[in-house]
Amino acid sequence: MLTDIFVTGLVNGGVYALLAVGFSLIFGVARIVNIAHTAFYMLAAYMVYTFLNLAGLPLLVAVILAVGLVTALSMVAYKLVIEPVREYESAVLIATIALALIFQEALLLIYGGHFLGSPTLIPGQTDLFGVRVTYQQLLTIAVVALVLIGTWFLLNRTRLGLAIRATANDLEVANLMGMNVSRVAMYTVAISVALAAIAGVVVAPLFVVDPLMWLAPLVTILAIVVLGGLGSLKGSLIGAFVIAYVEAITVFTVPAGSFLKGAVALSIMVLVLLIRPEGLFGVAFEEER
Amino acid sequence: MSAVLYPVRRAFANLRADVFALPSRTIVLLFILGLLLLPLYSDDPYLLRIVIMACVFAIFAASWDLLSGYTGQVNFGHALFFGTGAYAAALLHHHFDITPWITIPVGSVAAMAMGFLVGIPCLRLRRTYLSLATLAFPLILLGILFAFPDFSGGELGISGVDRLFRNRVANYYAAVILMLVLCFAMWKIGTSKLGLIFHAIREDEVAARASGINTPRYKLLAFGLAGLFAGAAGAFFVHFLRIAGPSTLEVALSFQAVIWGIFGGVATIYGPVVAVFVLYPLTELIATFPELREFRLLILAVVVLLVLLFMPQGLTPWIRNKIEHVCQRCKNRNAIWRDECRICGASLRH
Amino acid sequence: MLRRTLTAVVAALAVMLSTAHAADPIKIGIVGPMAFVQGENHWNGAVLAADEINKAGGIKVGNESRPLELVKVDTNEILSVPDAANAMERVITQDEVDFVVGGFRTEAVLAMQDIAMDYEKIFLGVGAAHDQLTLRVGQDYDTYKYFFHVAPTKASDLGRTLFAVLGTIAGQIRAELGKEKPKVAIMAEKVAWTQAIVKAAEANLPKMGMEVVGLWQPSPTATDVTAELSAIRRAGADMIFTVISGPVGIVLGRQMGELEIPAIPFGINVEAQKEGFWQATGGKGNYVATLDTYGGGDVAISDQTIPFVKKFEQRFGVLPAYTAATYDAIYLLKEAIESAGTTDADDLVPILEKTDRTGTGGRLVFDKNHAPTYGPGYLTGIAVQWQDGKKVAFWPNNWNGVTYKGVKSFQIPKAMLAGKKDGKG
Repeated sequence: MLTDIFVTGLVNGGVYALLAVGFSLIFGVARIVNIAHTAFYMLAAYMVYTFLNLAGLPLLVAVILAVGLVTALSMVAYKLVIEPVREYESAVLIATIALALIFQEALLLIYGGHFLGSPTLIPGQTDLFGVRVTYQQLLTIAVVALVLIGTWFLLNRTRLGLAIRATANDLEVANLMGMNVSRVAMYTVAISVALAAIAGVVVAPLFVVDPLMWLAPLVTILAIVVLGGLGSLKGSLIGAFVIAYVEAITVFTVPAGSFLKGAVALSIMVLVLLIRPEGLFGVAFEEER
Repeated sequence: MSAVLYPVRRAFANLRADVFALPSRTIVLLFILGLLLLPLYSDDPYLLRIVIMACVFAIFAASWDLLSGYTGQVNFGHALFFGTGAYAAALLHHHFDITPWITIPVGSVAAMAMGFLVGIPCLRLRRTYLSLATLAFPLILLGILFAFPDFSGGELGISGVDRLFRNRVANYYAAVILMLVLCFAMWKIGTSKLGLIFHAIREDEVAARASGINTPRYKLLAFGLAGLFAGAAGAFFVHFLRIAGPSTLEVALSFQAVIWGIFGGVATIYGPVVAVFVLYPLTELIATFPELREFRLLILAVVVLLVLLFMPQGLTPWIRNKIEHVCQRCKNRNAIWRDECRICGASLRH
Repeated sequence: MLRRTLTAVVAALAVMLSTAHAADPIKIGIVGPMAFVQGENHWNGAVLAADEINKAGGIKVGNESRPLELVKVDTNEILSVPDAANAMERVITQDEVDFVVGGFRTEAVLAMQDIAMDYEKIFLGVGAAHDQLTLRVGQDYDTYKYFFHVAPTKASDLGRTLFAVLGTIAGQIRAELGKEKPKVAIMAEKVAWTQAIVKAAEANLPKMGMEVVGLWQPSPTATDVTAELSAIRRAGADMIFTVISGPVGIVLGRQMGELEIPAIPFGINVEAQKEGFWQATGGKGNYVATLDTYGGGDVAISDQTIPFVKKFEQRFGVLPAYTAATYDAIYLLKEAIESAGTTDADDLVPILEKTDRTGTGGRLVFDKNHAPTYGPGYLTGIAVQWQDGKKVAFWPNNWNGVTYKGVKSFQIPKAMLAGKKDGKG
């Protein structure tokens, strides 16, 4: 059973990490709680489904196209919808909710409310430490590791990454230092959504695709970033695996309670908010605590 | 003879001075008259149903504004109070056969208690963290209800709840009067000293505390009041729809409150009411056109987005600014066609 | 001059008489979640019936033949219960329909039922199966007598079918795999409607010679059940008894196939009833078995079943789902109206109560609560299994003397047969 928990937690944790890191990035830099984050993830899943199933494009092309298109779309959405209302925090919240609803409705109209299955990128399964895993799941772990390392590299070894980290640290001073803050914000949005899109592409074959699939992960992601600390990437990463393992433990130790997975994440979030709102690694801002 | 006429003349004078002087208040008066006289013009039950639902949601949205707009504690789980009121009323009615005339007030009080309960942990939180916590509360209640399906009906909820009146027109007037009374009460709270304290808490809590205001007490009060009014809306809703289900607690409903509040204009009370009466019939209207039916939610989301871009303060402040001026000297509002302030006489043209 | 006036008068009379004979249509509102597959089936089944009836001259009410007109009502009930209530009131007061057919989500149908009963409109329920809908008829006959539950079998009867089929499959496991006491893992959603079935399973399965090795309760929208499947595999289960209505049913089918779990998935799996199931599982959902209503077009529950399924598939390109029983509901109405000679609801209720009609899904006889009678020779539903991309019916096969033409045998997953050959029983 322990190996079951280990492997299950690893796979799910990886997926959550991809989503949570992106979410945290946007919040840390642009102070935007992007309710539409998982909606972009859903869009990417639908796009890869379309390109692979309906257009019959080869695998790599479909993946790159899906991620690229969704990222481009996010930048357009940011420029058109989010940026004009940046100063009004509540307006930004509503704007992202409205965006997510628009995506949901558009997909509902185009594809209908049915559940669709994305084809497995790599069929087959194998035994890992005595636990049956599919190659698709292993692929997910590999991609997650690669992407996270790439993101770390981007953030810590490039000028853009420096700018992003500086802006996240102190927006006003970064502005004073001559960084184009709104440009940095836009790049951050692009990177964050790209991460979500990659998650969508990699995860779509594991799950089912439907226009409402953005709601459940949203709650889990919120729990994770609160646990890890809003604005802390390290926190999101660790938080993702903590939540994934707690969920795996719940399923294996209380099988009749496997529906509690969602409730467990939620309870953790509420507990963290009550006891230590800045989470494990969050930066406590003066006016926010 | 003149003694009888005197109050009438006095009322009319007040009307002219306070209400007709300002276009926005005149519009409100016309709106209230319109609502009250609607059944005389048409007794189409479908039309009355739409207005009743709009009244219920107007109370709900206004109560959100009282909490989130005035004190700045942005509540992402306002459906919690609506659902508490709904389920409390339905459970009392179902298990103990209590008449709606009692279950509605009791449901409201239950929701108010829930407001206090939830407000306490929220005292420790600010801004985004508070919003996220409030998002979780209705989901937690939902989980509890689902864990006891024999008591709560599980995903089916509690059905077969009686109506307040059997007659549709009677229900209509009950809804309209309830809405007018509760919203007026909320507006009065908003423009009173209590409302001023709420504004202060939102703008700068530290300064408010420094002025000697016990901010935690007032923040809690805001939660309680919002719970009271939203619970009343929920309880009435249940006695009209005749079923209390998990749909009264869902995230979509909470988001609706936020959308109505922001769309209409925060910290106004009348803003969300306007928003509901504009958006809700609009979405129903779209549903009657078969070609547009599927685009309903999409059109709503796009409209909201557009309003946000062009009127970021909300719809009603934008409208008010188009029909009224603020006097530079005494800060009172005047109709836009006036040349002089009606109170201090200063010139409004420049 | 006289001739011209005469022709004019005759012409005028002819026009008057012909317009007088253009009869008022009988309007039926079809209510359902039209953006989803359940609503689509509501509508398509109804359209099929209406077109046939109109082509044959309409419905004879007394001496008049009146055409049938359908009104499509999108209740959006899956996403909003108040919307459904509004839609029901709208179709009755604005569109002024004479009858209402359809409904899917129980919470919404309960609210819609109240509205239809207020207006004393006959409401034929097709889709929602909860017992409460017809219990109300018994509790308050005068108010609810206008409601009739046409299809599918009501929820409590579903349980009886489930256990009948479970017994059949257990017998096959004993015969083909040589296991005297098959192990069963129960996988049920944690929602109200499953609880009674789960309790009954835990009580009855041991009495039927099977062992319950555990209960797993995923959420209906869970996107991953590999954890549950790993645990079930460890427990050595031979059968997974599913009581599932949400998309987790697709995930289950797909992941069972991908991980090659050596167990038989059978029970209620609503997603597996849909034609899109095969694609949704990426072709991996082989061997998944579930209760169903119409099957894959090869089983004859009555002699109307296969022609109906074929007609439906030809016109709409997909197999009918259980909500397409609006076809039967409309024909039921037609026959009742023609028999009563009127469309008046109070006159029709006693006629409907005496229904004994064989439709596309079986023989329909209403009990005193206006629910469909259950049992061999009445409405029972069938059980199907996905075999290589097709839904194949395998039950009832010699059950209480009942066998529907076209049932084939149940297939045990290769992974289990392989295990037997290796001696790993």
